[in-house]
Amino acid sequence: MQTTIIYDFKMIVNMKKIIYSFFFFAVVCHANAQVEKGSLLIKGGTVLTVTKGTLEATDVLVKDGKISQVGKGLTAPAGVRVIDASGKFVMPGIIDAHSHAGLDAVNEATSPVTSEVNTGDVLNPFEMSLYRALGGGVTTIHAMHGSANAIGGQCETIKLRYGVKDPDALRMEGAPRTIKFALGENPTRVHGAGNGILPRTRMGVEFVIREAFSKAKAYGEAWDKYNKGKGQKGFRGAPPAYDLRLETLLDILKGNIIVHCHSYRADEIFMLLKVCQDFGVKRLVFQHTNEGFKVAPELAKFGAMASVFADWWAYKFEVYYSTAYNAAILTRNGVTTSINSDDGELMRHLYHEAGKTQKYGALSDDEALSLITINPAKQLGIEARVGSIEVGKEADIAIFSAHPLSTYAIPLVTVVDGIVRFDREKDQDDMRIYIDPKLAADASVGMDRDHDSDKCMQDAEEMFDNIFDLH
Amino acid sequence: MKRNYLKYAFRTFALLLMFPVVLRAQEERKLVPVARTYALTHVNIVQAPGRKIEMGTLIIKDGLIAAVGKTVAIPPEAIVIKADSLYAYAGFIDGLSRTGVLKPKEESKERVKDPGNPPPDRAGITPQNDVRSFLNTGEKGIEELRNLGFTTAQVVPYGGMLPGSAAIISLENTSPDAMVMIPQSSFYSELTPAERVYPNTLLGLMAKWRDLYRNAALQKSYASLYASNRNGLERPASDRILDAFYPVIDKRVPVLFKAEKLLDIQRVLTLQHDLGFSVVLADVKEGWDYIPKVKGSGAKVFLSLDLPEEKKEEKKEEKKEEKKDVKDDKDKKEIKKPEPEIATDSVEKIALEKRKADFIALYTSQALAFQKAGVTFGFASMSAKTKDIHANLLRMIKAGLTEDQALAALTINGAQLLGISDRTGSIDPGKMANIVITEKTVFDEKAKIRYVFVEGVMYKIEGEKSGGDKKTEKP
Repeated sequence: MQTTIIYDFKMIVNMKKIIYSFFFFAVVCHANAQVEKGSLLIKGGTVLTVTKGTLEATDVLVKDGKISQVGKGLTAPAGVRVIDASGKFVMPGIIDAHSHAGLDAVNEATSPVTSEVNTGDVLNPFEMSLYRALGGGVTTIHAMHGSANAIGGQCETIKLRYGVKDPDALRMEGAPRTIKFALGENPTRVHGAGNGILPRTRMGVEFVIREAFSKAKAYGEAWDKYNKGKGQKGFRGAPPAYDLRLETLLDILKGNIIVHCHSYRADEIFMLLKVCQDFGVKRLVFQHTNEGFKVAPELAKFGAMASVFADWWAYKFEVYYSTAYNAAILTRNGVTTSINSDDGELMRHLYHEAGKTQKYGALSDDEALSLITINPAKQLGIEARVGSIEVGKEADIAIFSAHPLSTYAIPLVTVVDGIVRFDREKDQDDMRIYIDPKLAADASVGMDRDHDSDKCMQDAEEMFDNIFDLH
Repeated sequence: MKRNYLKYAFRTFALLLMFPVVLRAQEERKLVPVARTYALTHVNIVQAPGRKIEMGTLIIKDGLIAAVGKTVAIPPEAIVIKADSLYAYAGFIDGLSRTGVLKPKEESKERVKDPGNPPPDRAGITPQNDVRSFLNTGEKGIEELRNLGFTTAQVVPYGGMLPGSAAIISLENTSPDAMVMIPQSSFYSELTPAERVYPNTLLGLMAKWRDLYRNAALQKSYASLYASNRNGLERPASDRILDAFYPVIDKRVPVLFKAEKLLDIQRVLTLQHDLGFSVVLADVKEGWDYIPKVKGSGAKVFLSLDLPEEKKEEKKEEKKEEKKDVKDDKDKKEIKKPEPEIATDSVEKIALEKRKADFIALYTSQALAFQKAGVTFGFASMSAKTKDIHANLLRMIKAGLTEDQALAALTINGAQLLGISDRTGSIDPGKMANIVITEKTVFDEKAKIRYVFVEGVMYKIEGEKSGGDKKTEKP
């Protein structure tokens, strides 16, 4: 639990209330939504544990949302559902480290630095894309802020517990805090070209980030000074102003928040490595990183991780120099790499995306599967809880008709916390939870757009109008 | 000399005739009523749900209810109204509305140079505004709501996320200040982001709310430190926006939040959980799945009087159209309009229509759900069309809410939630004379409202059709 040590509360009137309001509640402490957990027995499948090898004709027993046993000849207690997985493949639920699904707003694109906002405030459990992702074997996603700002908003790691009505029930309680940064064309076009403010070039982006961190440092020092002074007798002084933006940036500097940075070009990736080095930021994951292969050794040396596309590029100038071997090269150079979707449609076949690295880079089965399971878990800081089939881990499991890396694989059952959230045989035509009474009964719901552009710019499109004075 | 004088007078007079002068023979004078005492006789009085007096007498004097009973002495100066077979109820209370508030003119706004740091009014941050500055007795909403039986409403200003403070008003037309019963009754807020400037999305709005509140708390505590000894300290910054939060921080005033949908309610309760203010949820439409959390938070609730349209209404309109066609045929002898083909809907479409209808039924039974869960609630008319309010109440009653429960929400419970149940919300001696007189019981399909008393001032409601244009006549 994070506490902002900035404040000494003794001098403040109405102590309890202010303590309460100043405590920056980590996700853990938020209104405790009862998370439904289930028990299951998955019998006789080929279990792809990802971390501990492949086990033929093996059972997986789930008790109260956790994997309690993995072995042969297991029996389920009375009343527990048994899923016959003989001839089928059982793998850990897929984790998408870059998504914008399940959010009512993606980009607070009015300022180049918006670290104070949090996608956890705008979760929407009724979005159909969450169910469709379950249909592709995905169990956990990183619901991110968009890439309109150099320093964007905090993101929320959510589990696809589709069917719940309370947004709080989607949160993966206890997951580490994360935040979105963005480099390159998106922030420079939205703010520089669109509104004529900093940043307009990559130089500007670097400055915005450096300035933000410097200001946060100064903010922290001012509050430390005030708190130290307060303890002394006879101290009378004014506190500095409170600023949620700078509070969050300070938390990044303290290592409490993992930075996920949208970036493409090698020069800007290198730039951010240097900035983080200068400010002591160590927990860093690069998103997209199409030119990551050029700086793979540097990334590995820093300890930064990378979350990439399998083969999606050339939709912008900064994404021209790319290769389908990116994930493989990064992996071979010791960078923890994952494959993400950043798209509602792509999210549904991440297992095929992972398979592409076997053609482009000759990754082994477990290496390829790691890209969509344990590696994204590491990047989100949740590898102790999910990402592989091991006793004690949370029961997020996907069952496929064939090996998930095979072109013929079809997801059949997706389990989250031991509850079956997707079952191909019981998939209803109408899976909506809430219905909009203003729409026609047969209006189509939640169409995902084509991926002619990355979804990172959702909500910020109108800012582009400003570039050519098209308001 | 006399002759010249006459000539002069005549010329002046002729000259004056050339310039028409408005003769103010009939000035609009506010005539003091003959008496401020009324006696309603032989009226069925529903003092409060469950307390009824058949064929009783009700005495109103000087704006208050003087006496209620089966047989009560009628003061000699009283204006007697024979209310045979009419019903008297306490005037209805509206928890959230913009009745009487002038809508500001749409101005074309200049583009803000730095959208990240906009002027507060562009960002919708104007909590220092007071709705009293915007009240206007000519606003037609006052009469419309009053014609439905409402006598009291909590009204709020127009604006963005923090439009300003609310006031509880009586729905009368004398003057803005006279209307106000309780000024600054609540601190009003909406989940409405700003246009083109920060906060432009819900993301920014939630963060900005927290930032403002915490800064206000900090400023307030420093201000009190400074006040204890002003020597040697930098003086506190003065900020009208943050100052507006002080009554909320002190919990003297609740935050009145418009929260129509389920996700709105969840986000408001998130802010409440994070910051600790007391909250009133108003114009709630989709609350049934969140009742346990609403109860747990201690939030007060005003349910919306607006309901989604049901498909049945479309069929009624079709029938009306057919009738019109018949008339045309008679007159013009045109080719008979072919019977519309009943398209055989696909199985899928039928299922979808049923699903939609079932879901709409949840809106209609929302009040019942809150009632069953033991949550006291009032009603708010903000997003409802006045012509639909009576029909919507009937729909809720059809879905299972009893008439007494509906009446309680409109009267005594609404008053309790607004903190005015000591002086209105029921027909009891000493309380304000806010009364509705109806022909037939108030929830009858063909109920007609005949008189509305607002603080003892009588408004007579003319009009043939119920729900049609009504004229009020103030004697």
